[in-house]
Amino acid sequence: MSLTRSSSGGITRRGALKGLAATSALAALPIGARAQSATTLRWWSPQAAPAQLEAYQAQIASFEALHPGIKVVFEKTSDEGYAPQLAAAFASGDVPDVVTHLPSFSVQTYYANGLIEPFDEVIEAIGVDNYYPGANEVFRTPDGKHCATGIGNSAANALWVRRDLMADAGIGKIPETWDELRAACQAMQKGGIFGAPLPYGRNGMTSLIFIGFIHQAGGQVFTPDLQIALDSEATRNALEFYRSMRELCPPGATNYSWGESLTAFVSGATATGIYTGRVLVNVRDQNPGLADQITCATYPRIATDVAPWTFNDFASVFIPAQSKNKDAAKLFAAYIFDPPGYIKQLHAAPGHVLPVLRTIGENPAYLDNDIIRKYSAEVELMSAAAAGGYNLGYESAAHQSNAKAGEIIAAHPIADMVQRVVLNGDSMDAAIGDAVKAIDAIMKA
Amino acid sequence: MAAPRQTALERQYSLLGLMLIAPTVLVFCAVIVYPLVSAIYLSLFSVFTPTLQGGWVGLENYRSLLGSGEFWVSLRNNLVWTAGTLALQVLFGVGMALVLHQNLWFRSLARSLILFPYFVSTVVAVLVWKWVFNDLYGILNHVMMAAGIIDWPVDYLGTMPNAMISIILVGAWKYFPFVVIAVLARLQTIPEPLYEAARIDGAGPVARFFDITLPQLREVLVVIVLLRAIWDFKEFDLIYLMTGGGPVIATQTLPLLVYKEAFALNRMGMAAAYAVVMMAIMLVFMVLYIRRTRERRP
Repeated sequence: MSLTRSSSGGITRRGALKGLAATSALAALPIGARAQSATTLRWWSPQAAPAQLEAYQAQIASFEALHPGIKVVFEKTSDEGYAPQLAAAFASGDVPDVVTHLPSFSVQTYYANGLIEPFDEVIEAIGVDNYYPGANEVFRTPDGKHCATGIGNSAANALWVRRDLMADAGIGKIPETWDELRAACQAMQKGGIFGAPLPYGRNGMTSLIFIGFIHQAGGQVFTPDLQIALDSEATRNALEFYRSMRELCPPGATNYSWGESLTAFVSGATATGIYTGRVLVNVRDQNPGLADQITCATYPRIATDVAPWTFNDFASVFIPAQSKNKDAAKLFAAYIFDPPGYIKQLHAAPGHVLPVLRTIGENPAYLDNDIIRKYSAEVELMSAAAAGGYNLGYESAAHQSNAKAGEIIAAHPIADMVQRVVLNGDSMDAAIGDAVKAIDAIMKA
Repeated sequence: MAAPRQTALERQYSLLGLMLIAPTVLVFCAVIVYPLVSAIYLSLFSVFTPTLQGGWVGLENYRSLLGSGEFWVSLRNNLVWTAGTLALQVLFGVGMALVLHQNLWFRSLARSLILFPYFVSTVVAVLVWKWVFNDLYGILNHVMMAAGIIDWPVDYLGTMPNAMISIILVGAWKYFPFVVIAVLARLQTIPEPLYEAARIDGAGPVARFFDITLPQLREVLVVIVLLRAIWDFKEFDLIYLMTGGGPVIATQTLPLLVYKEAFALNRMGMAAAYAVVMMAIMLVFMVLYIRRTRERRP
């Protein structure tokens, strides 16, 4: 037996030495160089229903096939949990490379603190002309750049109603004012069915939805130059109405957030709902008996001379500044909008996440979906409402961007105010006064 | 008189001793002293959590927290929760241990099953209990309405005092097996002749419990109460997942307040100040525990 083996036999001594040299050279490469050959991108999103996850995995697979040196790993976060998770990630430096579906006001907060990479390059790659006009205005920063782009619009406070219950109660038209809504809920609340699933919990949903009520009463939380304007007659009217609706909501609404409120309407426990278009797919999958009975409208306001106010969180895509793979992250962020994958993603929750690209909204492949076809009027209404929608970081077209909006939502001063007035019976003046103080402290911090 | 000089061998032994103890000291410093000093140091700054940037504020964070009503409400909630859940844990735990100490035919199975709440993940336990308490689909409301006890679903987690009572009950359910294990172990070591003598003297079951069992359990119960008081005082996940501290701040305890300051308000320095104050309060329990365990040593 010899140490030198023939080439036909496999390994020669020279070959083995070459192999050893190659292995040594590889080991001697700097860590960065080795990492470059197998870049791993971490993608975070709070939108992770099973159908959405399937769409994301398809997008990841096709992206990885195009870019063999890049691997993408999806990690789920949640609407109520992303703020602390990202705060910890930023503090530790162990950040995701791409984050999607976070509301615009949170992204502005991060950008104001230097935690977000400017996104203009990616918007250029996606194609500025492909967007609906003004779609990226909410992401414009004081330095004239964009901190993110939208991945989808949503009309988060659409009013959902059941035609069958309305007909039974003798209600001829969908309520447009608060008085009509309350009367309709009173008429439909019977037989174990409650009027509405409004949130009264100490959470983000209560804050975000109640801000809508303030606007639907003709008020605002901040003036356009970001002075606190919460202490107003409109806020008092909104609190008064919200308090009057308590007896028309399930007892457990005191703990409701997005999931509970959605389920209450979809399961048939409430006659009206307040949510995005996710209602459509959930009704189809979980309670198809209601599929022909539901429709939606913009949420009622105090009087018809006050314009409707739709809460759109402007779900975003952004790249943390601490990402170690910014170039690959930008490549992937732009790829998310590649039509086949983006349409599959939108179809995973049709009507819930509405396209921000005009070219997708008009694309026959996007329109070719059973829910979008069946509920074309509802989807169109939500699309129009969401396109003209606002949130606390962008209360109106005249408002400055509010970089503290994310912290105000996360700290719950508005939800606390609602709970104090509705659940504890505290005086409105005291509750509003304390909310103003808490918001002022956050603004000055 | 001058101290006798160490020989070379003694110096070598001293050095060896220092080298042997050094790893323990280093680990102790890394896992206890460093975080402790860091927390105290951090509490003297105003720090924005995501960037960890901030400036020196001295004792301002402490002045601010002691002057805030939210701190005192949270501390009161913390004490109510700790005292309530601990009392029920001890009550259920001792009761169940006494039952499982009897010669029952299913004793082995029951002793295994009783540990289930303690081993099950808090997230899973909370999900199950939230379904039990659910106003629309929860079995508790359903059964009570079917039995005619209530006409309308009860809101267990969104109003007071229901929310506090609910978390105290769930906490007691989750942690009472720890008491069962510890008490059962002690029960098995109580000499049987004590009970025989009491029976001969005419003592009934109640007298035997108060005159023999309870005094014998005293030592273990003191340790259980102190340990569980420390653990319950810093409980976070169960309360956060059950009520989030609501309604308003009626079930918000100090750990939830620390979390809110650190990650909702992004004020890491203030959160550290709350944590330091919380640690000072817990120090009382820890000192009691250490003193108690020292006293037991021969």
